[in-house]
Amino acid sequence: MYQHTLFGAYINAIILLLLQRVLLLVASDVDALCACKILQALFQCDHVQYTLVPVAGWQELETAFLEHKDQFKYFVFINCGANVDLLEILQPEEDTFFFICDSHRPINVVNVYNDTQIKLLVKQDDDLDVPAYDDIFRDEEDEEEDSEDESDGSEPSEKRRRFEEVCCTGRKVTLQMWLFLHFRREILFDYEQYEYHGTSSAMVMFDLAWIMSKDLNDMLWWAIVGLTDQWVQDKITQMKYVTDIGILQRHVSRHNHRNEDEENSLSIDCMRIAFEYDLRLALYQHWSLYESLCNTSYTSASLKLWSVQGQKRLQEFLADMGLPLKQVKQKFNSMDVSLKENLREMIEESANKFGMKDLRVQTFSIHFGFKNKFSASDIVYATTSLMENIEKEDSETTNFIKALDSLSRGNLDKLHQGLDLAKKQLRAIQQTVASCICTNLVISQGPFLYCSLMEGTPDVKLFSKPVSLCLLSKYLLKSFVCSTKNKRCKLLPLVMAAPMDVEQGTVIMVGIPPEVESSDKKNFFGRAFEKAAESTNSRTLHNHFEMSIIELKTEDRSKFLDALISLLS
Amino acid sequence: MAAERGLELVRELHRAAGGHLPPFRTEEMRQALEEMRALYERNQADVSEAKSGRTDLIFLIRFRHCCLLRNQRCLLAYLYDRLLRIRALRWEYGSVLPNTIQFHMSAEEVEWFNRYKKSLATYMRSVGGEEGLDLTQDIKPPKSLYIEVRCLKDHGEFEIDDGTTILLKKNSQHFLPRWKCEQLIRQGVLEHVLS
Repeated sequence: MYQHTLFGAYINAIILLLLQRVLLLVASDVDALCACKILQALFQCDHVQYTLVPVAGWQELETAFLEHKDQFKYFVFINCGANVDLLEILQPEEDTFFFICDSHRPINVVNVYNDTQIKLLVKQDDDLDVPAYDDIFRDEEDEEEDSEDESDGSEPSEKRRRFEEVCCTGRKVTLQMWLFLHFRREILFDYEQYEYHGTSSAMVMFDLAWIMSKDLNDMLWWAIVGLTDQWVQDKITQMKYVTDIGILQRHVSRHNHRNEDEENSLSIDCMRIAFEYDLRLALYQHWSLYESLCNTSYTSASLKLWSVQGQKRLQEFLADMGLPLKQVKQKFNSMDVSLKENLREMIEESANKFGMKDLRVQTFSIHFGFKNKFSASDIVYATTSLMENIEKEDSETTNFIKALDSLSRGNLDKLHQGLDLAKKQLRAIQQTVASCICTNLVISQGPFLYCSLMEGTPDVKLFSKPVSLCLLSKYLLKSFVCSTKNKRCKLLPLVMAAPMDVEQGTVIMVGIPPEVESSDKKNFFGRAFEKAAESTNSRTLHNHFEMSIIELKTEDRSKFLDALISLLS
Repeated sequence: MAAERGLELVRELHRAAGGHLPPFRTEEMRQALEEMRALYERNQADVSEAKSGRTDLIFLIRFRHCCLLRNQRCLLAYLYDRLLRIRALRWEYGSVLPNTIQFHMSAEEVEWFNRYKKSLATYMRSVGGEEGLDLTQDIKPPKSLYIEVRCLKDHGEFEIDDGTTILLKKNSQHFLPRWKCEQLIRQGVLEHVLS
């Protein structure tokens, strides 16, 4: 059940009194990294011994659990495990406890209603829409007459899990039971059909720290980065983002109010966070303004920069603002100060004329020392590219550790390395998007759009990683929507495929919801992929924690797609 | 002749910097001692001759005597420096030395090491009340009770005194009491993470 406000007291009591150790299983995305950093800081504060194991998918999760289950009784899952029946998959002992802090929704009903072994960390006002208990589970008394041949002394939760099996044994079923099962199936189908995301785990962890009165400015920054990651990857709606920014804004002013007071201001080396109504251009302060305009999906799609007219329009845009090309192509820090002074307002005005109404976004930035100023989205891009670095042949866990390190302020060299990698990644994405649009690689399959990257495409290795591929798909869909004249195609979702491992002949496929103004970001591709794979017996692997990312063998691709088309039409 | 082999031994030790213990050169030692014995015998012969009249041999005797002293000095320096290094190993590695290092020590050096261990243990037990005080822990003042460590290679299971085991896999991070990790940090299996 929900255990939020009690979590702090609970953990403190259990851990300190019994001196138990905790195993942290952390998924591979920036939100999870930030949540993990906050939790590590809290544990270090209280001297709770823990072990941190990075997991990239379900297989690694199960392996790590099996390796460690004899040594630990308390497991904390960060951004993994909420949307499946964990007890069934992992089969833990009676006295093990699972704490799950996951932003994936919908949360599996078994996890919600289990009140002994599974504890969920959810914010009070997060609306889960969980179906009522009585609609899905039958109490013991009603089951007794039907489960005579079940083993005695089994736990109530096990009886519930086997409920469906009872009815498949061919016994006489009463009308009441049949109706119950029918409605149950419908309710569960409606509940689990769409995948979406709730509050960022980093924000939940920060909330926990705040309740325990152990929150620091550093933890607040990590919570901000976690939220910004959800926004950059388009996982939450605009409204939720703005609401969460408002919540964090209050914390920021609480921690950083000393900067406004002239007399008691802090030294320049202290870390401070500031709220900014900043430009939506990726990495623009660490790049040149021109490059940033070309490589941010929003501007590139609105100005249609893959075409010649698009390039001309960009020149007009810059001329409209009065920014000379030579200045704009220089590094941002070396631009004339007079040009930088009112840059944001100037760009916003001109952008409105060119149809880009949302060029500014509410966000935060961090300062420490004279040289170091970073915006939250900069950190998100840098950390993502460090985590999915293909340049060196390092294992995934090494990249995870590097990315985790880069979030600490002492490791600026790693952060700068991440920023360079992020620039390369963004350039690669934009070039791939431009080539896909120009060569009409995005085709409509009926209920969805489909695009497949060929093997010899430049930088295709970069897109064998899930987060990069998702980013590419979202940018591609945005650009496609701006480029196409077909009104119906503008409302379709996109399925994107890229070669994953040439030797093993696998392909990674990603499905994203349609690009609509008031989209609720709910993704039905998870279940659709599952059903299509079942019906065609394709050899698929659902390894990622996001259900809408799937790996399959290249040979099975066409029949899988056909099944998907027929399923969704 | 002029204590070259002895000098060679000293040079070898000088080159092996950083407390590293090279293998014990039994052969060269034997040759140097052989040289000393040969010089001594010749000196003996010449002394008796010099006593019976031939005073021009005195310089030669003197020269040989200086060579003998130089040999002695080189060999003693070699042996003593090795003992100092072995003593430092006790503080660095603990009471059980890795096999590779034990291989480099001669039998007498092993004997000396054992006796040193015993005398250190007796001293440590006498200090600090009933249980004694382990002086080889915390050579630098520790900043915190618990430290964050990262595993650099797959080390398998690691058992601690209270019976619990930790699985050390590459790239896993752990938050453990300082005294449990110090050994492994010195061996290079774990790395202290400063955040």
